[in-house]
Amino acid sequence: MMIKTEKTLCLKSSRGGKVRVVREHYLREHVPCYSTLCQAACQNEGKTLSGEVTHYVVPDAGVVRDFLEVLEFRELQGIVFMQTACQAAQHSRGRRLYNRLRGLLKDPRHDCIHFANEFQMYSYCPRGKGETQEKWQTRSIYQAAVWYHDHLAGLRPVVMITEDQEAIAEYGSRTSGVYVISTKEYLETFWPDLKAAQELYSSIAQALQERESDSTEREYAEHLPAEVLEAGIKSGRFIQGTLNVNKHRAQQEAFVRFEGSANKNTELNSDILVWGGKHRNRAVHGDLVAVELLSSREWRGRTTALHEGLGEDKAGGDETQSQPMPTGKVVGILQRNWRDYVVTFPPWEEVQSQSRNSQRILVTPWDYRIPKIRISTQQAEALQDHRVIVRLDSWESTSLYPNGHTVRVLGKSGELETEVQTILVENCIHVPPFSEAQLREMPTNSAEQPWSVEAVEASSRLDLRDTHLVFSIDPLGCEDVDDTLSVRLLPGGTRLELGVHIADVTHFVKEGSLTDLEARSRATTYYLADRRYDMLPAVLSADLCSLLGGVDRYAMSVMWQLDAESLDVCKVWYGRTLIRSSYQLHYELAQSLLNGEPAEVPELSRARANEDEGERSRRRAELLEALRLLTRVARHLRALRDRGGALELEGVEVRAQLDSSKNITALVPKQPLEVHETVAECMIYANHWVARKIQESFPHQALLRHHPPPRQEFFNQLVDSARTRSFAIDTRSNKALADSLDQAVDHQDPVVNRLLRMMATQAMSNALYFSTGACSEEQYYHYGLALDRYTHFTSPIRRYADIIVHRLLMAAIDAEKGLAPSKALASNKDQEELAHQINNKNRAAQHAQKQSTELFQCLYFKDKDPLTDERCTADAVIYAIRANGMLVFVPRYGLKGAVYLKNRENQVVGVKEDGSCVWHGGTLERHLDRISTTTTTGTHTFRVFDHITVRISVQPSRCHPLNLCLEVASSRPHQAPQAGEQPKGRGRSELVQEVVRLAEEASQQAKEKKGRGKLSKEEREFRQSKQPNLYSLLQEVAQLALLDLPACEALGVGA
Amino acid sequence: MAGLELLSDQGYRLDGRKSTELRKIQARMGVFDQADGSAYLEQGRTIALAVVYGPHDVRGSRAKIQHDRAVINCQYSMATFSTAERKRRPHGDRKSTEMSLHLKETFEAAILTHLYPRSQIDIYVKILQSDGGNYSACVNAATLAVIDAGIPMRDYVCACTVGFVDDTPLADMNHAEESGGGTNLALALLPRGGQIALLQMDARLHQDHLDTLMEAAMTACKGVSKVLDEVVRQHLQETVILTGE
Repeated sequence: MMIKTEKTLCLKSSRGGKVRVVREHYLREHVPCYSTLCQAACQNEGKTLSGEVTHYVVPDAGVVRDFLEVLEFRELQGIVFMQTACQAAQHSRGRRLYNRLRGLLKDPRHDCIHFANEFQMYSYCPRGKGETQEKWQTRSIYQAAVWYHDHLAGLRPVVMITEDQEAIAEYGSRTSGVYVISTKEYLETFWPDLKAAQELYSSIAQALQERESDSTEREYAEHLPAEVLEAGIKSGRFIQGTLNVNKHRAQQEAFVRFEGSANKNTELNSDILVWGGKHRNRAVHGDLVAVELLSSREWRGRTTALHEGLGEDKAGGDETQSQPMPTGKVVGILQRNWRDYVVTFPPWEEVQSQSRNSQRILVTPWDYRIPKIRISTQQAEALQDHRVIVRLDSWESTSLYPNGHTVRVLGKSGELETEVQTILVENCIHVPPFSEAQLREMPTNSAEQPWSVEAVEASSRLDLRDTHLVFSIDPLGCEDVDDTLSVRLLPGGTRLELGVHIADVTHFVKEGSLTDLEARSRATTYYLADRRYDMLPAVLSADLCSLLGGVDRYAMSVMWQLDAESLDVCKVWYGRTLIRSSYQLHYELAQSLLNGEPAEVPELSRARANEDEGERSRRRAELLEALRLLTRVARHLRALRDRGGALELEGVEVRAQLDSSKNITALVPKQPLEVHETVAECMIYANHWVARKIQESFPHQALLRHHPPPRQEFFNQLVDSARTRSFAIDTRSNKALADSLDQAVDHQDPVVNRLLRMMATQAMSNALYFSTGACSEEQYYHYGLALDRYTHFTSPIRRYADIIVHRLLMAAIDAEKGLAPSKALASNKDQEELAHQINNKNRAAQHAQKQSTELFQCLYFKDKDPLTDERCTADAVIYAIRANGMLVFVPRYGLKGAVYLKNRENQVVGVKEDGSCVWHGGTLERHLDRISTTTTTGTHTFRVFDHITVRISVQPSRCHPLNLCLEVASSRPHQAPQAGEQPKGRGRSELVQEVVRLAEEASQQAKEKKGRGKLSKEEREFRQSKQPNLYSLLQEVAQLALLDLPACEALGVGA
Repeated sequence: MAGLELLSDQGYRLDGRKSTELRKIQARMGVFDQADGSAYLEQGRTIALAVVYGPHDVRGSRAKIQHDRAVINCQYSMATFSTAERKRRPHGDRKSTEMSLHLKETFEAAILTHLYPRSQIDIYVKILQSDGGNYSACVNAATLAVIDAGIPMRDYVCACTVGFVDDTPLADMNHAEESGGGTNLALALLPRGGQIALLQMDARLHQDHLDTLMEAAMTACKGVSKVLDEVVRQHLQETVILTGE
């Protein structure tokens, strides 16, 4: 039974006046305590506190507000967050902190719970007359702590931690078993070994103290209050959007992109420029801000000149500007989106000169877009030239820089290990080694305890071991085989049966298990240039879930019955199966078999040596027949999609992929083998049919993947560039685009088509996961593949989305059989949230992969002398023209970059008779498709698609990522002397290995004290396929566009 | 404000109720002697006063007379002091007119009007304090008043509002929850037969959720009917004791 009381609140009304509001407040006797020690039979559902702790700890409102980060340490156990504290924290620090707290409470890896003390009859205490809010909060929390202690019959002492000294004095010794101590004392007494927590605590405490003592004159305008902003946005006076800082002019230029379509200023269809630090008003890259437009007289254009030296700003007034665009200033920040930042501490001498009087120092973030951060620390000397993770605390209007505190030290800058960790942190990728508890969930498969098929499973699954010829086709040396195929003619001869069998990961990874949660938070396997972070523990990804040849494995299968003549689908079957793959083929082998070459099939020659020749040739014929059948079906499927308007982008795909990661060259030659396409087509087909199935079964909560059509204006660059070679590109539909790209081939120069396709890829938007309840049905369309519904089903080892889809498919099958689902499905909202999370992680993975590739490229060129070393000179193709330079593509290393024709002394590149280039005084003239330099030696014109020779060097940088710098060496194509001796396209994996080797040698020489695990040979060679097949490349069409973004930003085009 | 959290992760609402729990309902019948029937009802902090006159001859225009049934006349008003900021116009504005019409329709469906041809029944309802769910409080109060007046009805008419937050229906919303700007469905039910006297919803809602929402609303209305039944029985007992002596 509930008791009704009333409480009085004073609220601010919308007009700013104070209103007295009386609210009902219901109290009840039974509020679950969520402790396993509960003696009173509370209904504790879900997460409970373990009983295996020495005490329970109750943080008060102030601690939750300021020191939540400390409480986030997983080592701290038995934390009870009182409702009062949570609400106070939400009230004072906003949604962001509160959401973090909620995440903490939901995460089963943290031993903490929420107790609704204000709804419990005996732990609630009404606020007394004249009592301040803080006093009342402390009193409530103390009362609740006492109640909690009594409720558990005093089995565990309860410790309340607070920063309020008065409270310690007042309540400290009032009740036995309930202690009130300060946070510092608590950490020191109970967790003396947890040094990291203590350091973090003191770092935050110091930052807080500094903030209080700050009071100087104002540097920035105050932000407007939230109500005013909200009203302003509604009325259209302010515009809401995310702030994007231009990486190349981080001090000056930032852009605000609209969010949502509810924009009243319809004449504003571009981004809004925010120019200069004063107008940016303390907003940091990524924040959700409200901007007010300046009067149109004050509008400025964006700078179009290429900018040498990232991030540095010169005061030159002669910068070339584009048309004035809407310009505004930030009036308020709706949502801070601060994350962890990696910064570099300055050398000690600099610190000393910087500020003698205090321990505050300015550190420079790795990311150009983030302003310098002020930190108070005593460790400045020890940390010089180290990379450190820092969190921002606040940015007062009186301060030129934001305040922050240090969290964790990564290592000395410039070391390979530190740099790789930096990339991970900067992309918010968190990949600790799998914990013991997670590994304990895993089945074992060792020589002593071989894993075997369980009888129960065998009887419930469809057994295909004896009836179907199952085989896999993957790149050579692939370890994680997640897809296999089968095809056969059904008895009677009128029907074909095509089967796609995918590793049954969901059998091993149960929903809600620790492994599942870990996989969910990782969302994908991360591939960096030299290493890989798996989504699932190795025992699954490389062994039990991998559909290796000759062993029994669980699978999820889709099997179609096709008409043997017309190849129309007659019947589809989905379900769990038991398979044994007969052949583990690789692409080249499969192709040569198809071509009728006498290639050796290892399984045939090795396994049955005692078999007679006739049997062997029969089996060979059987395999050949299956491959032929498969090819026929795939051709048909392809033709079907083409008729639907499928975009023939796989050519682009492969070639664009080449740009950033050369090791694909080995796998995918210029002319892709037909068998690649065959496998890809089967996978697309399986994904498509699964998407249909789950969408029909769960119209509101199925996880699908769509690819929105690109915006037409993004194609402008492509169309313009193509016109210079008099190719017409039609971008009206995906089919028209594909056709016109096919025709735009210059027979003298194959690079032209490649570049055009690259630009087309750049214009594409990203393919994204979504929940079907969140979009209307037209939006399900996949532009690249021309399919009305599409999802990811075929790589559950590497992608979490596939695991979700597998579960959905199982639920759909169960529902069809009339079985009740074992667990309620995630709602549309949860599904959408998850899709969003996976999309973000995928983007982070892409960024990290790209940045690590760049890192390795830089390290590769770092020790080479650009003037003498042959490897630093290469052929490049111009693909766009800018005011003071041009953008080029270097096919040999797959690099893209800017080449300047004008330097800081206003000299331009002069071209001599023999084509070599020198700096000279002169002028520069820019046209749409060409740029000319005029010097004393004459005039030279660079045109789009011209071949030139560039020299590659590395720009040193202490705080930021290294950069490659390109210079014109000659206006003629590079005469490659090495053409004969060196294979074209130096494998990038080779490059990576060389860098790793050098790093290793260096570290060995230095004889590092700390035994940082050296990369073993096995780790270095990553045998697991990077991108297992063409098909997976095909799907990432749009994500590749991302690789080109920085180059565009440099020119102020893409932003 | 970024919007209050109407339903916490632990399943509590702002005022400590769970999603299906109603606010506390207290009621008294026969509060005025002059009227034929009257009732006072508190539903949480919403307070409604209902008065019934009739059945009597049709007043005013004779054109209103119905030859086969009674005419029902409803008037809804809100006290000027019922809201946090003083209300200028207690009745006659658009909202009140609409509410009067809704009440009229509700009671035309419930009262056995054919028993009183050529006559009129007046129902006046006033909101003394408003804290969300005004319509349901009015209906519940008016039901008691009609019963107090001894006018035969098919069944109790019980009303309740249901909101929809985070895919969960919230029964009997208060003002803070209503002003959150979500869906709000008002249902007046004849609980015994499960017939719907009135169903009203303004906001958009996906069709798929309608069933769960209706289900929750019906359960809530049946809960209300139990309370009303108890009030009527107690009132009866009291009067019996008084008249018996």
